[in-house]
Amino acid sequence: MKVSILIILTSFLVAGDIKITCEEHLFNLYPKNRDIRMHIFQLDKQIKNKVENIVKQRFYKDKLYYWTITEGDSTKAYAFLDNVIGKSMPITFMVILNIDGEIENVNVIKYREAYGSEVGSKSWLQQFINFNNNSDYNIGKDIDGISGATISVKSISKGMKKITTLYPLIQSQLK
Amino acid sequence: MKLLHLFSILFLIMVLNAQDDFFNPGYSIGGYGELHWNRELDKDGETTKNLMDFHRFIIYYGYNWTEEWSFKSEVELEHNFVQDGDGELELEQAYVNYHTDKWGFQGGVILPTVGLLNEYHEPPLFFSVERPDYSKYIIPTTWFGNGFALYGKVADFNLRLAILEDLEGEGISASGIRGARGKGYKTTGYSLVKNLSAVYTGINGLRLGGSLTLNDAPINDEPDTSISVQMFEVNAKYNANNIYAVFEYGQNSFEGNNFTSPLKTSSGYYLDLGYNIGSMVNCNKLIPWFRVSNVSTDVDTDSKIADYMRLGLTWWPIDNVAFKIDYGTKTIKSDTDNPTTQINLGIGYNF
Repeated sequence: MKVSILIILTSFLVAGDIKITCEEHLFNLYPKNRDIRMHIFQLDKQIKNKVENIVKQRFYKDKLYYWTITEGDSTKAYAFLDNVIGKSMPITFMVILNIDGEIENVNVIKYREAYGSEVGSKSWLQQFINFNNNSDYNIGKDIDGISGATISVKSISKGMKKITTLYPLIQSQLK
Repeated sequence: MKLLHLFSILFLIMVLNAQDDFFNPGYSIGGYGELHWNRELDKDGETTKNLMDFHRFIIYYGYNWTEEWSFKSEVELEHNFVQDGDGELELEQAYVNYHTDKWGFQGGVILPTVGLLNEYHEPPLFFSVERPDYSKYIIPTTWFGNGFALYGKVADFNLRLAILEDLEGEGISASGIRGARGKGYKTTGYSLVKNLSAVYTGINGLRLGGSLTLNDAPINDEPDTSISVQMFEVNAKYNANNIYAVFEYGQNSFEGNNFTSPLKTSSGYYLDLGYNIGSMVNCNKLIPWFRVSNVSTDVDTDSKIADYMRLGLTWWPIDNVAFKIDYGTKTIKSDTDNPTTQINLGIGYNF
């Protein structure tokens, strides 16, 4: 019994890693006077289909985890957590948008494959800063490619486009 | 105690729900393939080759047990048919992978990290209809075999040490190292191939790599006679601002032990330059490109030294499908008055 409880507790801590990593990242990015809170957004089927058709990438679930970053009564940014599929494993990443829907920061929270982890490098992700729903996300032209990480590059780029495309459609419903 | 059980079950449900949000155990399927139409003409314009060939058909299958433990495999059918030595059916990859953020392990049928194409050879990833001859005769792509590998990431460097089955010494000839691949079929492990590689990806769009591979390749599975093989190669690929550039150089050295090696040195290189004009003509990706290359499977024998010039146009209507056409000449050093003209058409895909 002790062993089973230990296993369960250990598993729970591992599973909670993603949330902890996300919040550590947010606390490092923003000054202490900012209030950071996690929420879950239930995706409306119509909006979900619309965005998926535009971007040609599915949402991993019918819901999205997001954080509001507020100062006083004013929301400064939204951080969205999403999962996209690489060659065979999911890639979990966070996109932070300012209230105008422009990308402020991107971070790969968890990369699970042997090849292609370069998509997590800060210098590569830096390219997406200021991109919004009207930006072009063409690889090799607007976004530098990464040799050996072709599938991951495509997945992450589409993932960013998915979130920036979604944002104006759900902005009014966010907390 | 009952209460404890209840809490345990509740915890388990929470755990499963939490894990389900980001990772699910399960399989993944992929694949790639390529149709080629190759024509060759002699200096008088006479057709010496006219071949239509569904060269490769590959199915990838993987299973992820956990985020760390997975299995990955690729089965390949070459030339669409297998009978009496024609065509090939190969288990090109089949390995268990343990992966963490910093390091990982692979064991089974694996690929050594040597050259750009050995691990990344899906047809939409390279310009030409056929893989460069460099990647066939200097780097024996696709080189796979039984073994295991350790890999890790330090700053912007990916490091990998792969240990594989011996090369087959009797397969080494003036035509190079290609015939020495054991392909995982009842191979030996006397000396073991040691393949050490490093790849730098610290600059956006640029990949720089290199590897050193060593093996005493036994002759007819007998370690008392062998050929010491040393392979050294460097490679670079740049893909940004619509510019596509690839360069590879490799040199293989051979030395017989109680055996006379049929050659001492192979070497070669190729340089590809291309520019994406897709946005000018309003399509996804369209690249005119140029290649210059030399492949010397035996640098001491003029009939084994070839120079290549090639022009091509590759169109990707979507990123996973490539239509290719290329035209070029191959000139053998011992017969420079009779260059061969090569014209190739191809369709490649991956998913």
